[in-house]
Amino acid sequence: MKPAYSAFWGLYVREILRTFRNPFVLIITVVQPFMWLAFFGSSFSLLPASELEALFGASNYIQFLLPGVLSTSMLTVGMFGSMSTIQDKRFGFMKRILITPTSKGTVFVTKALGSASRGLVQFPIMIGAALAFGVTFHVVWWEWFVWIFALMLLATGFCSLFLAITARSTDWQTPGVVSNFITMPLMFSSAALFGSSHFPAWMQAISNVNPITFTALLGRSFVLGTATDWSYLGYLALFAVVMLAIGYFVSSRWLRVE
Amino acid sequence: MPDSAIVVHNLSKVYGSGDRAVRALDHVELTIPTGTVFGLLGPNGAGKTTLIKALTGITDITEGGASVAGFDIQREPMEVKARIGWVAAEVILDDDFTARENLWLQARLQRLTNWEPRAEELLRYFSLADRADDKVSHFSTGMRKKLEIALALLHQPRVIFMDEPTIGLDVSTRRMLWDIVTGVHKEFGVTVLLTTHYIEEADALCDRIAIIDRGRILAEGTPSELKGRVRADIVQLELAGEVDAAVLAALPGVQEARAQGNDWVVRVGSSEAFLPQLLAKFPPAAIRRISVEKPSLETVFLEITGRRIGEDEPMRDVRKFYAQMQRVRG
Repeated sequence: MKPAYSAFWGLYVREILRTFRNPFVLIITVVQPFMWLAFFGSSFSLLPASELEALFGASNYIQFLLPGVLSTSMLTVGMFGSMSTIQDKRFGFMKRILITPTSKGTVFVTKALGSASRGLVQFPIMIGAALAFGVTFHVVWWEWFVWIFALMLLATGFCSLFLAITARSTDWQTPGVVSNFITMPLMFSSAALFGSSHFPAWMQAISNVNPITFTALLGRSFVLGTATDWSYLGYLALFAVVMLAIGYFVSSRWLRVE
Repeated sequence: MPDSAIVVHNLSKVYGSGDRAVRALDHVELTIPTGTVFGLLGPNGAGKTTLIKALTGITDITEGGASVAGFDIQREPMEVKARIGWVAAEVILDDDFTARENLWLQARLQRLTNWEPRAEELLRYFSLADRADDKVSHFSTGMRKKLEIALALLHQPRVIFMDEPTIGLDVSTRRMLWDIVTGVHKEFGVTVLLTTHYIEEADALCDRIAIIDRGRILAEGTPSELKGRVRADIVQLELAGEVDAAVLAALPGVQEARAQGNDWVVRVGSSEAFLPQLLAKFPPAAIRRISVEKPSLETVFLEITGRRIGEDEPMRDVRKFYAQMQRVRG
């Protein structure tokens, strides 16, 4: 008998393949970044470069926005991971999995990491979209790999959180409701879309512990070539590990089979 | 290999608690010999699926215990799961995958090494080899069922659980599945625990049958042993005129005569002996219709539970099927 990672690898590959074989998911994945950059990214396009520089520390708002949008898109990745789990429960596939020597914990870890990996597909698409809008980047390759790793940590944390919250649910609507509840406060209380220096004190307090802020600031420092606060990477690792541990504990005990 | 593939001792399962508690299984005792096709026959809601869920580790049990393939379901669940296969009522496959990819995933879940030769053998056995690289969403229902059984057999299990495997299938697909179940049992030597509420299915496929109703095993034996419990033929009569029950009851060999609507239901020791007596007593013009029911699992169920198996739930069966379809379609 092969070790336990055999089941992990099978389910992980399934998660990835299912994404690439679903044309609707692929279309949305490609179109969504363009919409963000076209509609939201163009909101300050008529501002003079000096004012943009003063407000955002960048001569182009999209250059500033890109790391933030990539960070917030990891929130939706969590929702999709959760929906995929509910689909497996409703289609009976969860039963098929759990009648084999595969634990609920393994199912959880594959869902979390599989969904997080799926979310990273947006990275090259978003960069391509930004290039299409004429954005230039400061590129140091190893820093960009660190950025991708940071996004993976963020996505893993959010996927784990969503999966833990919806472990008992079999209702299609639950991930959407949870997403609405979580996404908006986390997105607007982060430094993803605007710098937090203009926030009121209470929002700054939230922003300072918001993992989206850590990822956005880390990515922004790489894109703009400014000083990097490496402690953000540590916070993100801690966030991912803690959420994985909580999700594993919750799923092992309370994940509903059907 | 143990003599008994499955041993269930005093097993109970209660859903909910307090006033809303539902006892789905009530102190079930059952021994299923290795190498048999064993049928659990009962109406919807009898506890058949719950028993399979308990034995496969999908649901916890409230009381009692059981062993499958020689392993305790509570203490050694992973050992049990490595030795069982499962065929669901609704076909559960990954539609985005090809047949071969579904087998690959199953091999991964069962942690198999060198699974490919076995997979090829199964694809050939089920006549799916030439469609192995097609997406299963393009398969017919019969092909999907075959693939599902192939998945259940991939890791050479000792026991296969088939939970109402023919529900919702048309007659020809159902017959095909019967042939497959019989063939699989003979070819692969696996013990099959099959649940059904189709009496003819249990009769055609099973070496032994347990009748289950309201969470309790009411009778168990070979189909002939069970039929032997009913020592009577049932004769249904439609007569042209009014007849007193005492007249029918007085005929030789009659055990009981009772009116059922416009008909008479007469229990007799032997219909062959009774019918000449009946025709001697009543002129042919007085008898509109006669039907004879020899001892069958249907009459056994009627004898044991006091009702026919699908009597109070024809719509429930349909609802169950459509609920499953709706769930699958999302």
